[in-house]
Amino acid sequence: MSLRTLFEWVDAFPSSIAMRESIFAFPVLLTVHVVSLVMFAGLVMMMDLRLLGAAYRGTPFSEVQARLFPWQMVGMVVTSIAGLLLFYSQPMRYFGKLLYWIKMGLIVLAGVNAMLFHFTTYRSIAKWDTTSPPLGAKVAGVLSLAMWACIVAFGRLTAYDYDWATFE
Amino acid sequence: MLLPLFQWLEGLQVSGWLSTSTYVGPLINVFHLLALVIVFGSLLIVDVRLLGRGMTQQPVAKVARDARPWLIGALICMLLTGIPQVLSIPIREYHSPFFWMKMRLLLVALIFTFTLRHKVTMADEARVGPVWGKVVGIVSIGLWTWVAVEGRLIGLLS
Repeated sequence: MSLRTLFEWVDAFPSSIAMRESIFAFPVLLTVHVVSLVMFAGLVMMMDLRLLGAAYRGTPFSEVQARLFPWQMVGMVVTSIAGLLLFYSQPMRYFGKLLYWIKMGLIVLAGVNAMLFHFTTYRSIAKWDTTSPPLGAKVAGVLSLAMWACIVAFGRLTAYDYDWATFE
Repeated sequence: MLLPLFQWLEGLQVSGWLSTSTYVGPLINVFHLLALVIVFGSLLIVDVRLLGRGMTQQPVAKVARDARPWLIGALICMLLTGIPQVLSIPIREYHSPFFWMKMRLLLVALIFTFTLRHKVTMADEARVGPVWGKVVGIVSIGLWTWVAVEGRLIGLLS
């Protein structure tokens, strides 16, 4: 089954059609998606800024990371559910959008970046928890900031139908 | 009362230019949203702490002092990217109930944040007690979320 068939299959679900035809589903879901996204991304970026040594310098990085994590996850779960429902309600609207696919790819890469950091540089946290983080940590922080900013930006830009960004 | 002002804005050359631009309008929108991300990050890190969660090893005042330059910087970016958005569609904004609701709430949220909330975050925690911090944290999250919701609805339902 190709990706296109999968999208078309979902597109034909009666519940998908019902959501697509509802006046309220799209504005409500999009609003929930955006507001929970800014909460999630905001707390991730605060952590990244600490990682770069640009903010909250007097607080150990491990505390910023561990204490913000549950709140980041709440935001992530809510924005992901709303995002999945937005996709579910009109899969063919997003299928042909280049920026949608780049956004999805960047979400995966941002996750990989966070995991890599956690299992490599973060292991030596005891050595730099209260001082300036090593280069590896700063690179992870810059990558995270840049990728989440692009994810937010590309998500917003899927609202516009640019010819160069549409392949269907 | 303000209609002539918005009609005058609609007639400005920059208004037409913004509303017909292929990239400038959308990019201003994107930067407005990115600034909002920083606004919410720098608000929530303090509000969560006011609720007695989050970075509890640090005093509320310290978290608030660290977050403040990011909050103020991001709010200035919101203003700088918000004005051209009104400029691009002045009459539509004028007739949008969401726009006016957002502006009222924004005024309340700003006054609340830089008076009461500022005072409570900077005060001696033992003197403020655990209840007021929680009330201020919840009101802050509620107010700013409401501002963001109204803002999103201007574009969706106006």
